Amino acid sequence: MKSATLSVSPAEDVPQRRLLRRIVGAKEFGLLIAVVVLVVFLAIQSPNFLTAGNLTVVSRQVALALFISTGMTFVILAGQIDLSVGSVVALVSVSTGLLMVDAGLNPVLALPLAILAGALVGLFNGAVFAFTRIPSFVVTLGSMAMASGLALGLTTGSTISGFPSGFLFLGQGVWLGVPVPVWLAAVVALVAHLVLTKTVFGRHVFLIGSNTEAAVLSGVRVRAVKISIFVISSSLAAFASVIETARLSVGRPDAGSGYELVAIGAVVIGGASLFGGEGSILGTVLGTTLLGLILNGLIMLNISAYWQEMFSGAIIVLAVALNMRRRGGRAGGRGWAGVLARIQKKSSV
Amino acid sequence: MSAVAVRMQGMSKRFPGVIALDHVDLEVRRGEVMALVGENGAGKSTLLKILAGMYTPDAGVVEVGGEVVQLGSPRLSQAHGIAVIHQELNLAPHLSVAENIWVGREPRTRLRTVDFGRMRADSVALLRELGIRQDPDALVGSLSIARQQMVEIAKALSADAGIVVMDEPTSSVTEDEVDVLLDIVRRLRDRGVAVIYVSHRLREIFDVADRITVLRDGRNVGEVLQTSASSPAEVVNRMVGRDIDQVFGHRLEAVPEEPPVLEVRGLRSGPRVKDVSFDVRAGEILGVAGLVGAGRSESARAVFGMEPVEAGEILLDGTPVHWQGPMEAIAAGVALVPEDRKGSALFLDLPVSVNIVSACPQRVSRVGWLSSDREQGLSREYAERLNLRTNALRQPVRSLSGGNQQKAVLARWLATNPRVLLLDEPTRGVDMGAKEEIYGLMRTIAATGVAIVMISSELNEVLGMSDRVVVLREGRVAGELSGDEMSERAVMSLATGVHERGVA
Repeated sequence: MKSATLSVSPAEDVPQRRLLRRIVGAKEFGLLIAVVVLVVFLAIQSPNFLTAGNLTVVSRQVALALFISTGMTFVILAGQIDLSVGSVVALVSVSTGLLMVDAGLNPVLALPLAILAGALVGLFNGAVFAFTRIPSFVVTLGSMAMASGLALGLTTGSTISGFPSGFLFLGQGVWLGVPVPVWLAAVVALVAHLVLTKTVFGRHVFLIGSNTEAAVLSGVRVRAVKISIFVISSSLAAFASVIETARLSVGRPDAGSGYELVAIGAVVIGGASLFGGEGSILGTVLGTTLLGLILNGLIMLNISAYWQEMFSGAIIVLAVALNMRRRGGRAGGRGWAGVLARIQKKSSV
Repeated sequence: MSAVAVRMQGMSKRFPGVIALDHVDLEVRRGEVMALVGENGAGKSTLLKILAGMYTPDAGVVEVGGEVVQLGSPRLSQAHGIAVIHQELNLAPHLSVAENIWVGREPRTRLRTVDFGRMRADSVALLRELGIRQDPDALVGSLSIARQQMVEIAKALSADAGIVVMDEPTSSVTEDEVDVLLDIVRRLRDRGVAVIYVSHRLREIFDVADRITVLRDGRNVGEVLQTSASSPAEVVNRMVGRDIDQVFGHRLEAVPEEPPVLEVRGLRSGPRVKDVSFDVRAGEILGVAGLVGAGRSESARAVFGMEPVEAGEILLDGTPVHWQGPMEAIAAGVALVPEDRKGSALFLDLPVSVNIVSACPQRVSRVGWLSSDREQGLSREYAERLNLRTNALRQPVRSLSGGNQQKAVLARWLATNPRVLLLDEPTRGVDMGAKEEIYGLMRTIAATGVAIVMISSELNEVLGMSDRVVVLREGRVAGELSGDEMSERAVMSLATGVHERGVA
């Protein structure tokens, strides 16, 4: 009944084989294969897919989504949900425009202030959730409407343009042949990965997601962690907003609409459990990439962009269903580790 | 018609790592109350779950009314006239008594709407038959546990159940309600119903049962006993199967004469804890006894900083402390092993190693960064100390047996180097072997100078392990017993507030 990775004693484990086993045994491995298969499929199906132009577009889109889904990973790992991230993107996009264009502030000053505006939404979410025990679903549903309404109210619905060109580099620039947003997203994802796997704070996020009551009894400062995850989520959404605003060089009160769905979908496709306690940044990166590729693929295959939302919705439901099924059959060495074990057993006989 | 209502023969059931039932027989006749007794982990629940159609046995035959039946699902079990009243009652608290009794079988009017008039009238008739005076419109959630039990019984009767199984019906019931409940059980029997009565309260068993089946470690112990020809002592001997002293071990050294480590004076917290005082010295094992609802767990939680202290004092080494939460209590050297292991202690899907180090992050990290080496080292050290298989460290704690899960919880708390260890029902749901191991560990831990406070509902355990016993009743200390005063009778009379003779 033990999984393959555990049944072998370390003594007879050759390092190379152990590394291979770890790679293949990781549950993210199946996702990696899915990404590769999709890339090959799209490359065959559409001559425009593997062009420098399209790959830049896709990678920039995935990078933008990755900021948000990375933040969402913290929230979902703790067993919560944050529906307000899309509206935070709108609020911060508008704030960036108001501060930088209308008030004429230096970007060095305006950017932190705009991101702070987004972080405050997270502070509100986290504090209300931690102190009142209103489900995060409801709290963030409310703040989603509030942030979005605030963005509309501040601009009376109009867009803001006329940003300084130095700022636009954040969204449009390219460094070493790779778009700047991709570099930034890679750094953010790496830091998030380290925080979740190597720090006490990250461990506490997992503990709360696995069993909040037990986390309280183990001396975890549950409220502080709960507030932090929502601040992280909305700060990263704010970060994404700044970069998107720079990319489009316009502050829009309707920016970020539907992003919460993409982010939640990416995290779940990445193998995280919506019940908390299970998931990883690596999974989220792959999930975000897969979802980005699918949406790009729809365009490549000449399916109207108007259908995109329907596809993302269906994919998310499918991902959750697969996820639950896998959890149900968790006993025994199923999954890729089990497959590898069976292959090795056969070859050794 | 056969006189035997249900016969289970050669029932076997194996779970990963444990044989829950090993060729167990149980036979109950019509109009008979059969008591089913045994320690926790003896196999009672498994047997009942097979009867309820929740588990499929690996081997064995079930006959109902002389015919072999397959009980593959709860629905099939009910169709054969078996009603199992579980410890966690299966009632909808927001519905009325009548609605609960007839749920799923509501009488209909000609228009196919629910006939509430008939439902109410039938409920009244049914309850009257059982000698229960109960308003059928009352919401079930507003009733006491005993009353809810009665609703369950009425529900079983309304479904024409010929076999009624009651699993620990009195575990959360006050003493005077017990008698009412037992009276209803007798009425059921007089109607020809076969009753299987599971309880570890011997008084009730000798009061109500006709025969007794004893289980131990998943097997029948001896022939079925006739209650009239047996004695409580004989039943206890069969249940435990050996000399009690052997199970609990002995104190090797006297408790050092030192001032107490932990003192609680006049503690009030929440609705259940009104005025609780006790103290415990280093190396001592203090038992806390009392009925369910007496405020034992709640007192422990208040001491641990989980519940606000409304009045009274908590002193550690003679200094008053005011902990804002478990974090501060842990830092001061207090640990709590809660009653509900799965609900409030374990991170079931996380590895055993993570579970072990979860309460002592400072020992496996530096400025907030975890060290994987230290984490592995520390969890391995405590796993070895508690005799947990170390090759299981990376597995989710869910995959361990109940006893090993409890050892993982103990390991977590020992890793915090506690000075005071609060144990709430430390051996609930673990098998006999693991129980003995846990008792042994408690002796070892106490010998290293840790003060242990053990809350337990098992009298054997309280009397066998404790140096002193504090008995709580309705949120207050009813008395303290030590040395020769410690007896089952003394504890029970303090816990219930009635002298044993007065009750009988």
